[in-house]
Formats: sequence, C-alpha cells, structure tokens
Amino acid sequence: MGANVQKNKIDVKKIDRIIKGYDKSEESLLAILQDFQRAFQYVPEEGMKRLSRAMGVPESKIYAMGTFYKALSLKPRGKHTCKVCMGTACHLKGAGQILETIERELKVKRNSTTEDGLFTVESVNCVGACAMAPVVVVDESYAGHVRQSKVMDILDKYK
Amino acid sequence: MKAITSFEQLEGYRERVKAAQKKDLPSVLICFGTGCQANGAVAVAEAFREEIERKGLKVDVNVGFKTTGCHGYCENGPLVVLRPKDVLYLKVKPKDVPEIVEKSLVGSEIIEKLVYKDVNTGESVAQYHEIPFYKYQKRIALRNIGNVDPRSIDDYLLCDGYKGLARALTMRPEDIVSEVEKSGLRGRGGGGFPTGTKWRSCRAVDSDVRYVMCNGDEGDPGAFMDRSIMEGDPHSVIEGMIIGGYAVGAKQGYIYVRDEYPLAVKNLQAALADARAMGFLGENILGSDFSFDIRISRGGGAFVCGESSALMRSLEGKVGEPRAKYIRSVEKGLYDKPSVLNNVETWNNIPVIIRNGADWYASFGTRGSKGTKVFSLVGKVNNTGLVEVPMGISIRELVEKIGGGVLNGKKFKAVQTGGPSGGCIPDSEADLPVDFDSLTQAGSMMGSGGIIVMDENTCMVDVAKYFIGFLVEESCGKCTPCRDGLPRMHRILSDITEGRGREEDIETLTELCDVLTCAALCGLGSSAANPVLSTVRYFRDEYEAHIRDGKCPAGVCKSLITYSIDAAACTGCTLCAKKCPQQCITGERKGAHVIDASACIKCGVCKDVCNFDAVRVE
Amino acid sequence: MEKITIIIDGKQVEAVKDQPVLMAARENGIDIPALCHHPELESSGGSCRVCLVEAVQGGRSRIVTSCNYPVRAGLEVNTSTDQVMKIRKGVLELLLCRVPDSEVVRGLASKYGIDEPRFFKDEGENNRYKCIACSLCTQVCEDVVGVSAISMQNRGVEKAPGTPFHKDSQACIGCGACAYACPTGAISMKDSKGVRTIWGRKFKMAACSVCGKPYIPQAQVDWIVKTTGKDRAFFDKCPDHR
Repeated sequence: MGANVQKNKIDVKKIDRIIKGYDKSEESLLAILQDFQRAFQYVPEEGMKRLSRAMGVPESKIYAMGTFYKALSLKPRGKHTCKVCMGTACHLKGAGQILETIERELKVKRNSTTEDGLFTVESVNCVGACAMAPVVVVDESYAGHVRQSKVMDILDKYK
Repeated sequence: MKAITSFEQLEGYRERVKAAQKKDLPSVLICFGTGCQANGAVAVAEAFREEIERKGLKVDVNVGFKTTGCHGYCENGPLVVLRPKDVLYLKVKPKDVPEIVEKSLVGSEIIEKLVYKDVNTGESVAQYHEIPFYKYQKRIALRNIGNVDPRSIDDYLLCDGYKGLARALTMRPEDIVSEVEKSGLRGRGGGGFPTGTKWRSCRAVDSDVRYVMCNGDEGDPGAFMDRSIMEGDPHSVIEGMIIGGYAVGAKQGYIYVRDEYPLAVKNLQAALADARAMGFLGENILGSDFSFDIRISRGGGAFVCGESSALMRSLEGKVGEPRAKYIRSVEKGLYDKPSVLNNVETWNNIPVIIRNGADWYASFGTRGSKGTKVFSLVGKVNNTGLVEVPMGISIRELVEKIGGGVLNGKKFKAVQTGGPSGGCIPDSEADLPVDFDSLTQAGSMMGSGGIIVMDENTCMVDVAKYFIGFLVEESCGKCTPCRDGLPRMHRILSDITEGRGREEDIETLTELCDVLTCAALCGLGSSAANPVLSTVRYFRDEYEAHIRDGKCPAGVCKSLITYSIDAAACTGCTLCAKKCPQQCITGERKGAHVIDASACIKCGVCKDVCNFDAVRVE
Repeated sequence: MEKITIIIDGKQVEAVKDQPVLMAARENGIDIPALCHHPELESSGGSCRVCLVEAVQGGRSRIVTSCNYPVRAGLEVNTSTDQVMKIRKGVLELLLCRVPDSEVVRGLASKYGIDEPRFFKDEGENNRYKCIACSLCTQVCEDVVGVSAISMQNRGVEKAPGTPFHKDSQACIGCGACAYACPTGAISMKDSKGVRTIWGRKFKMAACSVCGKPYIPQAQVDWIVKTTGKDRAFFDKCPDHR
C-alpha cells in the first residue's frame, strides 16, 4: 500500500443510503458490497459492519464475501485503476510483457498501488474484448491493440 | 406506455411501429459495442449527429441514425454501416464523417479507403454481407445484433420480437418443452447438455416454486459472445427466459452477469424496465394467467461462479463455492428448489425456435449438435471477432475462410477451445468438425465457444502453464485436489519453462491430472487437466525440447531464449537503444546495434519498437 | 426412513435411502477414511476428498465422495479398487504438502505409503499449520452453536477460517466447539487460571460451585440463557456435579 494513499473519511450516511436502496434480503448483499466498492473505491470495514447490522447477517459472513470476490477490495485503492487483461488472446499477444513494463515503469507490483497513490495496477482474467488484444483498461476506458512501447503513453494521460 | 394485455394489442402496436418507420430511409448504423467504443465510436457518432444536423438533414425524417450492439468484427472498429446500400466502413474516424455524409449518404459514392481489403488478395469489398468474415456466417443467435438499438424495445419488436412469447403462451407448457427437445438445442455454456431434457427433468419434480436462471458469468478467457448478446440484444435473452419460465412453471428468473461487463448490466436493466412497462414481465403477461419477473445479479469477479452450483450460492448472497452435484439442480437448485440454469446464448435461441419451429432449427448443424454456434475467433488470426456458423464446420474453414488465415503469414499451429476447461487442437486435426462431441473426443471441449488461434510463435508449454496459473488464481479453495494440486502442477510447468525440467515431469503431471480429474469437487477442477493433457498429447516434443535440450522452440520462455540484433537487417536508427530499460543496447547511428546479453532482462521492448524486424529471438 | 439394500465391496448391506454412503458403510463395519465429514452436520463433507469410492449406478461407474453421495436403490460401491486407492493416495499426498505438521494427515498418508511428498510443501508465509480448510469449524459455529463467529475467508490456497476483519470476534462465545470439531487439531484453545484463550480472545470461565473448577466460559452461559431460556442456576454446577 502506498504511503500517501489518503484514507478517505468514510461517509456513514453514504453507506446507509446505499443499504437503504436495496431489499432487506441476503440476495442484495453482493450488490451492496459492489456499490460500496464503487462509491469508496474499496469496501470499508465500517460499511461491512453496518451492512451486517442492517441485514441481520453475521459479520463473519460478510467478511467472507469481501475476501472471496475479486471485484471487492478491502484496502483503499489508488486514484486510478489500471487493469491489464490476462485473457488467452491477450496473453498470446504479449500481455505479460505489457504488465511487466507497467510494473517496471511505475515501480509497482501487480495487484498493488503506486507509492503516490495514483494507480492501482491489477491483472485481470479476460475483460471480454479479445478482438482488441492486448487490452488495458484504465478506470472505465478500454485501450486495445496496446503495444509494449506505447503503454506508458496511455497511463501518462492520467498523471 | 400502457401495458399490452392481449396478442391483438401486441400486433397492433407492432404495426404502428412499423408504419412509423420509413422503409427506404437512408440510415447510418454505428456499432456501440465495447470494442468500437474503445476505438472511438462515441466521437464518430457525435460527428455524424453534428454533420447530419449541419447539412440540414433531419435525423429520423430523412436520415435514420442508430447506435447498435456489436457487429462482431471488433478488430476493425469503429464500424459504420450505411443502409439500405449495405456498405460497411471500417476504422472510421470523426474526420471521415463529413466525407461519408457528403459522398455516401447524400450521394452514392463508395469511399475506397474505408472499405474492407482482403489481407491475402488485396481485393476490396464494400458490401457488408459480401465480406468473407460475414459471408460464410449463419446468424441465428446474433440475428439482431448490429441491426437493433439495444435500448429500443420498438427496434426489437420490428425484428419480430416477443412473437415467440406470444406463440408460446398459446401452447401448453409441456408442448414447448417437447418443441425445444425436438430442436436438438444443447446448452451453449460448455457441457452441451440437451436443453429440452433439462427443462423436462425440472418440470417433473414436484414443487410449488421453481426458478429459471441465465448464466451470464462468461468467464472463459477468450470468449465474449455472451457479452455481445447481452449488450447488443438484451430482449432476446429476456424473451427466452420468459418462455422458459412458462414452460417449466417458474415465476421468478435471475440473470447473473459478470461484474466486468458494465454495459451488459446497463442494457439488460433498461430492457427489463421496458419489458415490464409493456407487460411482457409482471402479472398476467399478455393477458394470460402467467406471471413472471426477472432480477439481475452482478457477479463479483470469480470465475468459479460460472459453475452452476457456485452461481446459485452466489445468487443467494453467499460465497460462490460449488457443491457436490450428486443431486442435480433441476431437483435442488437455487434455494434448494428445482431450477433451470441455461447460458445467455441458449436462452437467446429459444424465441426463434418457438417462432420458427423445431424443424427449422434442427435443419442446421450436425446429427448430434443442432443449430448454429457463436464463436469468438481471436488470437493470431487476421479477422478476429464474433462469428456464428452452423455446427460442424471445420476448424480449418473457420480459421482460413472466415478468419482470413493466420496473422502475418505465420504458420498455423493449433487452436485452443473451451477456455481453461478445454484443450489445444493441433493443425493435424484441424479438419475436425466443430461440434460438442468431436471436440470432446479430441481432448478439448466446446466450452462457451472461444477459439483462440495459435501460430508458430506460441509455446504450448507456456499455454498449459498459463491456464493452470489462471485456475490457481480462480480456485475457490474448497477441495484438496484443486486447491493444493493446481499450485504443484503450476510449479512443475514453471520449472519446465525455466529450464529446470526433469525427465519424470511429464509423467508426474499426468498423475496429478488424474487426481484432479477424478477427485475434484466441481467442473473447474475436474476439467483442469485438459490444457495440460491435450498439449502433452499433441506437443510432447515441445515439452521434451524444454526438458532435454533447454530450448523453447517457439521462442517464448524467457529463461530459454536470448535476444540479439541481426546486423544485416539493423539500420542503426537507435530507437531500440533509446527505449531499452536496461540501456544495454549499443551502436553508432546508422551502424548495426548490439545487445549486451549479460545485462538484458528479455523484456522485449527492442523487438516491439524495431521497425525493421532486426531483433532476433532464439 | 426407507431402508434399501445396496452392495458395498461385494456385500449386500441394508442402508437408509439418501443417507451418505460413508455412514452406511460405517454402520456395516466397512471403514472408509474421511477427515472433513461430521455425522451431526448435514452441510459438512465434500472438501478433503479422502473418502473417495467407486460408485456404480445405472451402469455408470464414477469416483465419488462417499460422505455426501446418497444411498439410492441399485447402488454398488467399491471402497478400495486400484483406481480408488491410487487417487486417494494422490489426494493424501497433496494434503501432506499443505499440512506437513499435521500428525493426523501424516499418519493417514503413511498408511498409503507416503512419508514424504514429491512436491513442495507449504512453508513460511503459506504455512497454515495443521488446517486443511475443511470448514468443519465454521459449520459447527454456524449450524450447531448458531453464532457464526468465524467463517472461511479468501479463496484458493489462501482459504482458511478466521474471525471477521482478523480482529476479536464479538460474536464468539468461547465455547470451543470449533476446536473440538477440527479433525486435525489445528485450532488453538488454552484454558488457564480461569481464562480460556481462543481465536486470540480471552474468555472468563465460570466455576463449578461444588468443585470450584472453572468449566464454561461466562459468555457461553449468557448465550445459552439468552437463546434457550434455560435457568441460569443450572450452570452453577459442572456436569460432574449436577
């Protein structure tokens, strides 16, 4: 975890608003956790605790979900999320080398955040855009046919 | 919008929508699939809107303008289709738009530089349906995609949408099941289980409550047809599920969509809201006694949730761990109630089967595998994208006729099908017909339909290692063979690719494969051996080259290769030296460059930047 | 309870329909090794894969886990064919890689001729002591005790039981059922000077009014009184002196 990652002050009202938007049913748990993830860039402990109370579901079960699903992160993420697709088509077209380049240039290991808190770099298993392989997704924006020598140009735009 | 409560009202509404459409209206269709959007389709659409307005052409009055779902030919996006001329323009940029409007929309000129050119013959083809990529396809599942605006239920109705539902509601539920059985439709998600049989078994179980579910957790790397269908034609899936719900006696349906597919979630949500408003979902659908609704659930980024029992646990709001399937989910599925789970493409086929009849559907495909199948043809092939063909076409036809052959004129080596549960099929077996049974016999499987083309520069040991590595990350950790066996297999494969392979490794791998296949809890583990066994079966010599000679014949495995510069090809442009992160390339300007092998980290940047193909990998 | 006749290792035996094959075998004196199954817990089993047998039904033969394969008419079970033994041995070798410290797993593996696995062992950071991630502890905590103080966390090789947020679980009553249920003795529970330490939390023990021995965590008494309405006075004495 980068030293400068700001621990956002968690807005409890926001947590409760998200919970209120759903039925009081276990079926809603994953969706609520995902909404936390989107709202806070991670799933805060306070959110899981309040969710546990609101739904009457043990904390242990909610925490188990938080650690099982990859879309949920229990640690704060960087300002931008850079996902390098590791699908088969991307793998064959050099995704591994692209990820290594990013790791080298940003001085960060995969699935962690840069020192300045700007980027969280993740390898993901196929984003389903195989025809544009290799693919890098920054936040919600897809870049296809990425070349190893050009990938940093994409990230530089977010600096 | 007032809900429609009878078949007559539905047809009346359809007629009104039809009448509002001007038939021969010139129109522009812009692909808004994820691929095209990534390549700038949004800006292109904006440019069209502006240009059409600037010219005083009125959208929807004398020019139609539509953003559509994915045409499948993602390699060449953004794609623009002009109707009714059926002209396809590729890689369109905003700056091309004024010219397109002027010459091709107002006028009838073809802009040569934007049309398809065959990589092999150099021949250009302007007509959408004449392009080899589309010409050999038979589009049933993808019938509407690229033609309809996924956000418009009227568009779907214009393509005979919800006619299948209307027909279904006049039939007895058991007759629908028989019709689906007769069509020979088999599950498109992987296993190929006969859909009708599944429905019948579910109906046979005594219960007040039943569920139907749609598996949209498309996780096989290299496959994206379900994404395209959910994004581009969401109503077809919804209509299929309503028919399925009626047939098996379910009142509630669920669609489980991968979290990685935000556009699919959005389009499905909008489509559900429209279908509800029109009365296709909810109480007393189309005035019948049948009530049914659908909920969407987003997956959480876990490949194992594509496995049926894990998917159901996840839907229930639990950790997505699979359970033993000694009691099938048609008996005890979601909330332990009889449940039918089918994949996106399966559901999408149902409305047309009911509309056109089982015999029509069964007239496509082979004896054991009826109908068509959507494949995502990707990897080292010229034309990549989604293709739909009748079952039984050969791998070679797919790769060569539709795919336009292997990229950069390289030698075709193998295709990988079925994702991490599938295997590699070599060139020597490429005349094999693609259907459920042939692929399984060849040691692979259909999976959800990813076909990944591999060339001479693909290392098959690396491919096996890749898939096992994928599964190590995705194993849920519940059962011993998968949780503790896969990391050991991965270690052995890593040893082989890093020059530490031992003679007995292949034997040991095969033994571990046996334990996984026989002892793993769910399909993820029990099919995990396929990528290893199929590559050992067809490419044993490559494993041996790594182990015995310390060589990677394809030039992939880092520890076993060296980078050098071919002095004769090097022009001394200095680009590689500038980009080398190790600064271990030296040479005079306009003189041949040299790599200092002792400092080289084999990152491949030099090869990537070299414009003269002077960097050699051995 | 419908009784039916099935065949196990060539012998005709009586078994209850839908009961797990493992139980039917044991009731008839046929031993099948198993780690993660508990007869009192319906949801248990299916995880360690040690209890594999060959099941032949409807002309189809396959390797299944006997702990959750239901007894049905016409079933024939073989508990020790060459293939079953080979695969079971393979599973035990992998378990031994995971928990080389576990005496139970070592002993079982040794019976199958494995004293040292061929593959790398989980050591250092990956050493999960004796835990085989079978989830019996969390199932007992949820289904029997009813508090769900612990759950199975993470996935893949990282899967392991734990308290939420890796902090003291407020739901835990210190009853120790998880430690009793663990087949490999992987959960540490220490009673000393009237205090029980489990999952990193300390629990004050209530003492028996007769012998003075601390015998039950106060939190557990509170929980039972609260959920069952049992008289608090009942817990004044330990089971030996009631």
